[in-house]
Amino acid sequence: MSTATNNARPDSATLDAFAQDLDQIRSTTMEKVGQEDANYIRNVIRVQRISEIGGRVALVLGFLSPIWWVVGVLLLTLAKILDNMEIGHNVMHGQYDWMNDPNINGKRFEWDHAADSDSWRRYHNHEHHTYTNIIGKDRDFGYGLLRLSDDTRWRPKNRWQILTYLNLSILFELGVAYHEVAGERIFMGKRRKTSNLPITRKELRNAFFSKAGRQFFKDYVFFPLLCFPMFLPVLAGNFLANILRNLWTSTVIFCGHFTEDIHTFKMEECENETQGEWYYRQILGSSNFEGSRWLHILSGHLSCQVEHHLFPDVPAHRYPAMAKEVEAVCRKYNIPYNTGSFGQQYLTVVKRVLKYSLPPKQVPIEA
Amino acid sequence: MSISINRADFIHTAWRWLARNVTNNSSFSAYFEPLVQMFYTQWRADRFRSNVIDVRRESADMYSLVIKPNKRWQGFEAGQYIELTVEKEGAWVSRFFSISSSPAYFEQSGLIELSIRIQENGQITPWLPQALKAGGVVNISQAAGEFCLERALTPTLMIAGGSGITPFRSMLQQLARRREVVSQPISLLYYARSSEHFLFRNELKTFQQQLPGLVVHFIDTRDVGFFSEAHLLSYCEDFRSRDVYICGPSPMIVHARKVLQGQGVKQEQIHYEFFGPEPVSLDEDREASNVLFQQSGKQVTTDKDQVKTLLALAEEAQIKPVTGCRIGVCHQCICQKKSGVVYNSKTKTYSDTGQEDIQLCVSVPVADVVLEL
Ligand code: FES
Repeated sequence: MSTATNNARPDSATLDAFAQDLDQIRSTTMEKVGQEDANYIRNVIRVQRISEIGGRVALVLGFLSPIWWVVGVLLLTLAKILDNMEIGHNVMHGQYDWMNDPNINGKRFEWDHAADSDSWRRYHNHEHHTYTNIIGKDRDFGYGLLRLSDDTRWRPKNRWQILTYLNLSILFELGVAYHEVAGERIFMGKRRKTSNLPITRKELRNAFFSKAGRQFFKDYVFFPLLCFPMFLPVLAGNFLANILRNLWTSTVIFCGHFTEDIHTFKMEECENETQGEWYYRQILGSSNFEGSRWLHILSGHLSCQVEHHLFPDVPAHRYPAMAKEVEAVCRKYNIPYNTGSFGQQYLTVVKRVLKYSLPPKQVPIEA
Repeated sequence: MSISINRADFIHTAWRWLARNVTNNSSFSAYFEPLVQMFYTQWRADRFRSNVIDVRRESADMYSLVIKPNKRWQGFEAGQYIELTVEKEGAWVSRFFSISSSPAYFEQSGLIELSIRIQENGQITPWLPQALKAGGVVNISQAAGEFCLERALTPTLMIAGGSGITPFRSMLQQLARRREVVSQPISLLYYARSSEHFLFRNELKTFQQQLPGLVVHFIDTRDVGFFSEAHLLSYCEDFRSRDVYICGPSPMIVHARKVLQGQGVKQEQIHYEFFGPEPVSLDEDREASNVLFQQSGKQVTTDKDQVKTLLALAEEAQIKPVTGCRIGVCHQCICQKKSGVVYNSKTKTYSDTGQEDIQLCVSVPVADVVLEL
């Protein structure tokens, strides 16, 4: 671990007991999962549908008054945020597979997002959630663009990485769409020697273009043309809604993984991990932020990133209740639990991006 | 003609394409489904939302659901089955059931009946009657299945075991209700554990009066044992010249087919239908279980002393399912279980017996499992 090493790793007996306590939290929660959770996700989907339809209609009414246009943009942004965060992200983690509903199924769900959902499922569900914050394994750490710890060498371009970060935030959905394609070096760079891709490189490329193309067609061709005299306002409204959504999702995700005290890991540390060690790494690699119920819902409960990393397939709206118990268990075993207000956490993200944009003061001595 | 079909096809394809592109859902109905459900609970775009009119007790462990199918439902042929889907604690559960009433009855009353046996450890069959008592809503699929009486009726031998009587009741009721006289010989050998277990006894007897060629034998397995060569010869001597229909628990079907083929009945004369999943017991010392990989047509038997995950079993059988983390986190290895029970070693829970998605890398087979793989 390279940052905040004042907490040494607890011994394995402690971590085993710790794991048991966490398993207990998981199973008592899962016993409660049922009708209430089904109603909850269906209601969120209803709100998403109504705001999407309402938003698209309001955009067209923009010819009556610009207020309508603004309302349209906000409703459409809301719809996209709900679709991506509370619905898409969580459904694609398999949180609602037990409902046996083909439209709310982890494997089949497709979201209102430029990234092909199959590709996302591969690198997010597998890579990021299994190898969380292991440098070289979890490419979500810095996305290959940002230097966020001393584990990566400083390069002159890192000086401007706060701008890179802002750009990434604005174009976040494209970054997410491009992530696996970049990792596999489909368009440029040297091919990876080992690839675990279950599809061919060509299929990956086609999926990338077809999904991004579909999204482009929908928001920038189909709906603007459908509302023809309002072509430009509708196009602009869709564009703005996509950007606002991007800014929000990237902010949530940065607050969940790149706050000041987040730890990173080396592959050697994580070989043959026990369940307790795995839980421990997940906790040290994620951070929460606190806020109102709406903030939780709009962040897809990634405000409880710690709980999400511990229990990725538990219905997310159960996380806030679990968070209290998890925090208590962490306190019991003296394991750091990273949480704070939304504003605080975001400030430390910016701090981290700035901090590592400068070269290290002294060359870290290899242990 | 062919042009208009192509045009319909084209419109259909274009419409689906548009739905996919504009809503990211498989169809417009799927997109609107949650909204429609606000007004019609349990409405499903791909099913027929139907009302349960009555739940009728048939015996200690059997009951019939009387259902009024949705108007768009297209009807059925005697002997066919439907998939029944209901919501239980937020989850959709589906089971296949033969329709036990006749098409003629449906035409007249608009109703169908499903006769269901309560499985002791089942999660669904004991629960359904309470859930639907006060007139509930269920979803049904279109009827399907090849287990039907052929139009031009030939001499027939029917062999029913337990609740396997249901499709035969439908067939016989259909013949009895049809105006024209049916005089072809039909023998029904109906096996049950004890005399209280014979369903529709009076109705079947009435059919004997209405259908001159029909002979029904109620065979109590406690008294005379299970189906055998001796039974064939004593109850239906000329069985070789008949079409044979078998329905009941799977071991019975396997056994009956073996006996019949041993007696020289040709394979194409034998029609059969498995009746529902078998009751499962979750005992500690369970028998070795079989895993059938449906698409690749491979079957493996698990070793009781050496517990292996379904993923390991599949890979040993040279099937390569998509995987990721192999520790139950990423959901890449999700696969549809068609039937059977698995134990999830991560959540420490047993699955239901019906169709559902499971994680191969952390699931262990408990009773015979059929996987889509
Ligand atoms: S391989 Fe990741 S859940 Fe099974």
